[in-house]
Amino acid sequence: MIPDYSIGLLVAFAAAGTAFFALMRETDGLHRLLLTDLVEVVTLAFIALVGTDLAEALILPGLVVGVSELIALSEIYRVKEGYVRPPAAGLQIEVMESAPGILAAILVVYGIILSGFSGGAVAGLGVIFYFLSRSHNERFELIETASGYSWVLWIVAFFVFMLLPQHWFFAVMLAGAAILVKVMAKMSLIGTMRGGPNA
Amino acid sequence: MNATLVLGLAVLVIGVLGVAFVRPKTYVARLINLEIPAWGLLLVMLAYDEALALLTFVAVTAISTFVIVRLMEWRDASC
Repeated sequence: MIPDYSIGLLVAFAAAGTAFFALMRETDGLHRLLLTDLVEVVTLAFIALVGTDLAEALILPGLVVGVSELIALSEIYRVKEGYVRPPAAGLQIEVMESAPGILAAILVVYGIILSGFSGGAVAGLGVIFYFLSRSHNERFELIETASGYSWVLWIVAFFVFMLLPQHWFFAVMLAGAAILVKVMAKMSLIGTMRGGPNA
Repeated sequence: MNATLVLGLAVLVIGVLGVAFVRPKTYVARLINLEIPAWGLLLVMLAYDEALALLTFVAVTAISTFVIVRLMEWRDASC
């Protein structure tokens, strides 16, 4: 009997080979960007097949790096191809005005419940989404200051781990909350890359 | 073998074929087909009870679709 893991690995290898073959044959830039997304999905399946907590711990940063990379590549592609004229305002319906705020709020609340690195990533995605949909006249010094202080709290939590190990639970909570704010602040900056005059 | 895992792997392979050799070869068709391997991956994650990874993947997919659609809008406006 062949174990599940080996069969899954074989299937994932075949799928990844197909995806890379299509990427090799493709010449159009935007099609290549879409195929990069496909390669990301397939390679995440490799990690998911491990099926332990380690897999989960590896998938979360992979997803965050993947979405950051996609946003950066799409901006580079847009500048390279010289798409300088902003899209005309398409659908003028009410749901397009209210949906970003609601979706962003759901993502931020879920991120705070998760806490820690993945929570920061999810909440950060909510803020990115909000900034991408709306104009951004926010005070970025404030976000940067919050990010800096939360970094300090994260370091403090590690000192508590080393010097006062009996207060480990307090340190876990401190580190989880601090990294949440830190990752969220950094990711929200990506949402302001919209190719406007002040970007 | 778990039925969810088998189904997930099958959907993953079908989806990869659907995206790699898409007909008609348009951006929107490829973007829509990208949802199929994503479903396969979600089923694989479900088979191993990776709830955190699953929910975060759903959140990330929403944003990446949004980013690509926005890029297509810029392209349509400039061409």
